[in-house]
Amino acid sequence: MRRRLVGLLGSLVLLAVAGACSRSKEGAQQAGATDAGGTQAAAQPTRVKLALNWVPEPEFGGFYAARDMGEFKRHGLEVEILGGGAGVPVVQMVASGQVEFGIVGADELLTARARGVDLIPLFAVYQKSPLAIMAHASRGAKGIQDVLSSGTIALEPGLPYAVYLKKKYGFDKVKVVPYDGGVAQFVTNKDFAQQCFITSEPIAARKQGAEPSVFLVADEGFNPYVAVVATRRELWKEQPERVKSFVAAVREGWRAYLENPAPANGVMAKLNTTLDAETFAAAAQAQKPLIETEETRAKGLGTMSRERWETLGRQLVELGLMEKAPPVDEFLLPEFTQAAGKTSP
Amino acid sequence: MKTASVHAALAPLGALIIVLALWETVTRAFSISPIVLPPPSAIALEASRAVESLLSAALSTGRSALVGFGLSAAVGVLAAVVLSSSRVLERALYPYALFLQMVPIIAIAPLLVVWFGHGARAVAVASFIVSVFPVIANTLTGLRSVDPSLRDMFRLYGARRVATLWKLELPASLPHLFTGLRVASGLSVVGAIVGEWVAGVVEGDAGLGILVLASNRQGNTARVFAAVLAASALGLMLFGAVSLTGERMLRRWHPSASGS
Amino acid sequence: MLDGMDLDVAAGSFVALVGPSGCGKSTLLRLVAGLDKPDAGTLTFSPPLDRTPGARSPIAYVFQDAHLLPWRSVLHNVALPLELAGVPAQERQASAHALLRQVGLGDATSRYPAELSGGMRMRVSLARALVTRPRLLLLDEPFAALDELTRNRLDDQLLALWKELGMTVLFVTHSLSEAAYLAERVLVLSRRPARVMLDRQLALPRERLPALRANPEFAREMGLLLQALERGEAP
Repeated sequence: MRRRLVGLLGSLVLLAVAGACSRSKEGAQQAGATDAGGTQAAAQPTRVKLALNWVPEPEFGGFYAARDMGEFKRHGLEVEILGGGAGVPVVQMVASGQVEFGIVGADELLTARARGVDLIPLFAVYQKSPLAIMAHASRGAKGIQDVLSSGTIALEPGLPYAVYLKKKYGFDKVKVVPYDGGVAQFVTNKDFAQQCFITSEPIAARKQGAEPSVFLVADEGFNPYVAVVATRRELWKEQPERVKSFVAAVREGWRAYLENPAPANGVMAKLNTTLDAETFAAAAQAQKPLIETEETRAKGLGTMSRERWETLGRQLVELGLMEKAPPVDEFLLPEFTQAAGKTSP
Repeated sequence: MKTASVHAALAPLGALIIVLALWETVTRAFSISPIVLPPPSAIALEASRAVESLLSAALSTGRSALVGFGLSAAVGVLAAVVLSSSRVLERALYPYALFLQMVPIIAIAPLLVVWFGHGARAVAVASFIVSVFPVIANTLTGLRSVDPSLRDMFRLYGARRVATLWKLELPASLPHLFTGLRVASGLSVVGAIVGEWVAGVVEGDAGLGILVLASNRQGNTARVFAAVLAASALGLMLFGAVSLTGERMLRRWHPSASGS
Repeated sequence: MLDGMDLDVAAGSFVALVGPSGCGKSTLLRLVAGLDKPDAGTLTFSPPLDRTPGARSPIAYVFQDAHLLPWRSVLHNVALPLELAGVPAQERQASAHALLRQVGLGDATSRYPAELSGGMRMRVSLARALVTRPRLLLLDEPFAALDELTRNRLDDQLLALWKELGMTVLFVTHSLSEAAYLAERVLVLSRRPARVMLDRQLALPRERLPALRANPEFAREMGLLLQALERGEAP
């Protein structure tokens, strides 16, 4: 929620940058392409930027692992990771060329495409959405429908899965208030429920002595990819090798992180001092089953399927968040639905 | 009189048309992404599509802002009167009023939730906190700037404290008071919107602040702009009402209103 | 500021105070009015004044600037002293009307000070000063900011009001000719610390007509005043 609060200010600040910058950035990319096109890894590594849409947390562990374990370097890239936080407008930053790669939600990518912004997805960290609703266990709720039948719930305004839940169950029996990014209200009020990220708020709430029940929204039938690496179509057209290298490095970084999250957690903990080492470890553990699934074992980490994107498109149109679903073939490149040449077993 | 006000309206209207035309052509010429800066045509289109939600949100925010403004006016004048009654009191309490003004409302808002719960009441209080200080400051200046000779005259005729306050100090400070109210009018809308972000409700009686957040979350930049413009319109309406009232009350005797 | 002043003013007399700027004439007036407190000395009124707050003030003060309340109409400005004394609305408005007619502004009662000329505003100020039928009228260079013609007219107006109402008048001015024209008795003060240089009962006819200013007697009295003034100015 906090990320949205300042988000509009961030977008508005990008006004001046947008028009001028996208042109000059393209110029720079051209130069870079011809530069590295000839020679291979021996040349200077290309500098690229990756913008995160939240503060460094296990959600982004694989990216930091890719950087610190040299995966990016091995693929001829020098990656600057821009930690996000409240209100970083990643979609706008990638679209305007301010950064080469960014982490966005699948729903954001589709709604941007529907407005003519040509972003393409490359790698989906979460195969199962980690977004959830948490309520106090003492309420005895068996599912989200029970949670929505009384009390108060904190939701980010405009959140697609909130719109989904409203359509499915209605909000007339519950008081909906703005989500504030924390758990303070939850901990002090037994009738208070809120949206959460399964790796984050429930752990924080337990630390403060509360007992939350967590219900994944994915289990209600709304399961977009989350933490999706995206880039501009132009970059893919001009430097496809660069993009493929980036994704390959990311995949290896995530493989490494899943096996041993401790090093990257240490790095991130220095950047994000609000969480302690114990929480980092717990979160990294909790998110594993959402990242590594049957499908990723078969096709590689971060893989994406047509069906999932088609379903999401259909759902967003049904929810009134889009007029028309962008055709999947226009943006889902075969290179990224099947991990070509994965380097680890 | 009529032609004067028509002429007065032409200048800003002309400027508006030029700005809109420039905006439209620039966004198209430079192919600026619609999610960064939408052209006015897109904003108008989105506004027409979302008319219902825009209007109900505007009503909700407007109500809270009006209550907040009313509180600022009443409490502000009262506080100014109290502070003007004694230099010691003023020196003691003024810094706290100033402090209240300086603390960002975003930081206070969670406290408002604790005290008032989520909803219109907390939002109105946020609106009040943000807009009260200019009323206090300006009215206090007005009260302190009363002509000392007039004070002498009241003293000479044996006027009691209340009579001096009511018949001399308050009327004399009216121009300053209205300056403060004009500033407070715009701020009350800002305060309501920021208050909604933390202390408002998201469903049922959602205001423009919530609509702005939701539109942004859904990548609907055109609707963000539409909501922001609606908020500005609210502020303008309140400002206009205050200015008109001030003008009527000051017309016969204060140079600021006679417009010569 | 003022040093060793010993003054006796007869009831109903018209006394003018002249002196160089800053000598303390205004201060003296303010002390008499009770607006300032003296460091030493006494002020005695005989018979004693009724100074209880809320009662009609027996002292009226006219400032150099008319000092009208701009947000009130002329009528309500004049009625103000009675209003502060608790006089009911009908009575005080009737008194205000009457006085405004006397100063020639009977038609302007619903106008506002901003709409009036300087001279008219001063007349309203006079009317306001007299609405309580004061025993003592204090004026501090009231006509100094007005042009010559208006000034002369208001001088005559003041004289007429004094003749009719019979209050004691203390008139501060730095114009010798105005002092000589208006007053029965003129006090010339020196520069600070002020002493009385001259205390003169003017040898002029009781009836003060504009033609008096051309009179040789007038010039003679003026000369005496001027001499005293010059002596008082000298270091």
